[in-house]
Amino acid sequence: MSQTNKIADPLTLYGEQFASRFLLGTALYDSPQLMRDSIVSSRCDIVTLGLRRQNPAQGDGDSIWQYIRDSGCKLLPNTAGCKTAKEAINLALMSREMFDTAWVKLEVVGDDYNLQPDSFALIEAAGELISQGFKVLPYCTEDLIVCQRLLDVGCQVLMPWGSPIGTGQGLLNRYHLNALRQRFDVPLIVDAGLGAPSQAAEAMEMGFDGILLNTAVAKAGNPPLMAQAFANAIEAGREAFTAGLMQKRQTASPSTPTIGQPFWHQQK
Amino acid sequence: MNPTSTAHVAIAGAGLLGRLTAWRLTRAGYKIDLYEAGSLTDSSSAAISAAGMLSPLSEAVVSDYQVYRMGLHSLVLWPQWLEALGRQAPRHFHRHGSLVVAHPQDEGELLQFEADLTRVVGARNELVRHLSAQQIQTLEPDLNPHFKRALLLENEAHLDNRELMQSLLDYCRNSAEIRLFEHTKVDVGPHTVTELNPLKKRNYDWVIDCRGVGAKTQQPALRGVRGETLHVQTSEVKLQRPVRLMHPRYQLYIVPKPNQRYIIGATQIESEDTSPISLQSSLELSSALYTLAPAFAESRIVETDSNLRPAYMDNLPKVEFDHGIIRANGLYRHGYLLAPTITELVLTAFGQPATSDEFFPFVYDHRIPHNKVNV
Repeated sequence: MSQTNKIADPLTLYGEQFASRFLLGTALYDSPQLMRDSIVSSRCDIVTLGLRRQNPAQGDGDSIWQYIRDSGCKLLPNTAGCKTAKEAINLALMSREMFDTAWVKLEVVGDDYNLQPDSFALIEAAGELISQGFKVLPYCTEDLIVCQRLLDVGCQVLMPWGSPIGTGQGLLNRYHLNALRQRFDVPLIVDAGLGAPSQAAEAMEMGFDGILLNTAVAKAGNPPLMAQAFANAIEAGREAFTAGLMQKRQTASPSTPTIGQPFWHQQK
Repeated sequence: MNPTSTAHVAIAGAGLLGRLTAWRLTRAGYKIDLYEAGSLTDSSSAAISAAGMLSPLSEAVVSDYQVYRMGLHSLVLWPQWLEALGRQAPRHFHRHGSLVVAHPQDEGELLQFEADLTRVVGARNELVRHLSAQQIQTLEPDLNPHFKRALLLENEAHLDNRELMQSLLDYCRNSAEIRLFEHTKVDVGPHTVTELNPLKKRNYDWVIDCRGVGAKTQQPALRGVRGETLHVQTSEVKLQRPVRLMHPRYQLYIVPKPNQRYIIGATQIESEDTSPISLQSSLELSSALYTLAPAFAESRIVETDSNLRPAYMDNLPKVEFDHGIIRANGLYRHGYLLAPTITELVLTAFGQPATSDEFFPFVYDHRIPHNKVNV
């Protein structure tokens, strides 16, 4: 939850502070109960949800939405499944009305097979939505120029992929992800493609500000336990980044001084 | 309690659970009033929309061990119960197992399925046979030959659900012990059923509520989960058993029905919308069908359907005993898989012994202080 009292190391998005750096998706769980148990053990403050396949005018998904609302988390509606800027804009407008929030996780699918974002349509939709007062969190590729354009149209957060949605392949392009971190001061959240907590920790160690995922938790044998594992890894990665990682080097240097050892050990 | 066999019982909801319960209770000597909000012949029950698969293993993957165990138990009960229906027994109950396939590029999905299966039911590999491309062709010659691997779940079965629903309805109509109330919307309470239009209250020794999603007005914890299906007809494809297609984005099944018909389903959408099938869903279902066997291309779409599965938030069934009322609901996508077991649990309130006490954890007896179980 966004809190007014002090948070030690907050994640700040569009001026709002969050204690957790973990954003969790609400799809694909075997039951709503498992979904909510996972939200609880993830300790997350923000959950994403999509209304693509419901018919909101009739309140068709009310049962499940109320259940998600009851988690107390901030709701981040997404535009999953949209293939054009126009579709995404319409869905964002609908979501704003439904969920009473100007926040949107903007997704525009460019390719049916790997669900890669359509960067061109994404930038177009982001610009339009921001001009209408939305707080846009764009799901994008790790392309530096695309990210720059998204910032140019007014995005204050970027959410580059680690790898395609649902693949669990981790960070496929560390060089470019690093480049984004070096270049941009805005919050960067790795969204999609993470399969293991170690991958989330790695992204956090690189200095990313948060992690958004869904499949790796929802499709685990024990989703609440996996949610907790990711939460721990994300916190560990953040602490490691804050503490400052040592640089890798070639020469071994013992952590215990060798002075006290018998001299023949130091011969070679 | 031991109600006398002259006790008068009301059942609200003439879906699968309602009809089964009515039948079993009259066999035990009870008099039944069976209420149905809609039509009996042209029923809108989820039991009509279902595919009638009895697949404890495949469903274990998306539910849990207890659903699996209840399913196994139902698999034992179904043949006995169908036989007990006698003259009215449906002809279509087949135990040829079911096939699980994935396209060559998605074979990871088969591995995932197996891993999930092992996690839920343990390493019971005697129930799962690995088939080569040639073995697949021997079993189902009309399947697309591009499937290189498949799993055969040998003990799974399927039945013709509509035939069974008709058999049970015939039984209810012919029974002197059952009064049928059609197009009669009701509220239920302890010992009472209240017809809503016009208001009319009747008292009973017992009321059994198996209205599925229809009970939602009185049980807000229930929700409906939308499912959409296509029915096609073709003489060009012959399948002996249900086939499940594992795909990264959707898991679909096709089940053979009498008269060269096949049902393909089902979407699973968190929505209580009962409007007709969407274009997107019908595209997904029909392209899955086409890739399973290209000869389906010329099949005729003879029916499209959308309906709601009744579920609680944990997607597990629940039987609740209270003074003068029993509620049985939440069978979700496992109606035929669980119905006999759930019916047995309901009947324990009438002194009918259950053949296994393993499933009592699904019974919540509110007559006992502090809730939990048992009968």
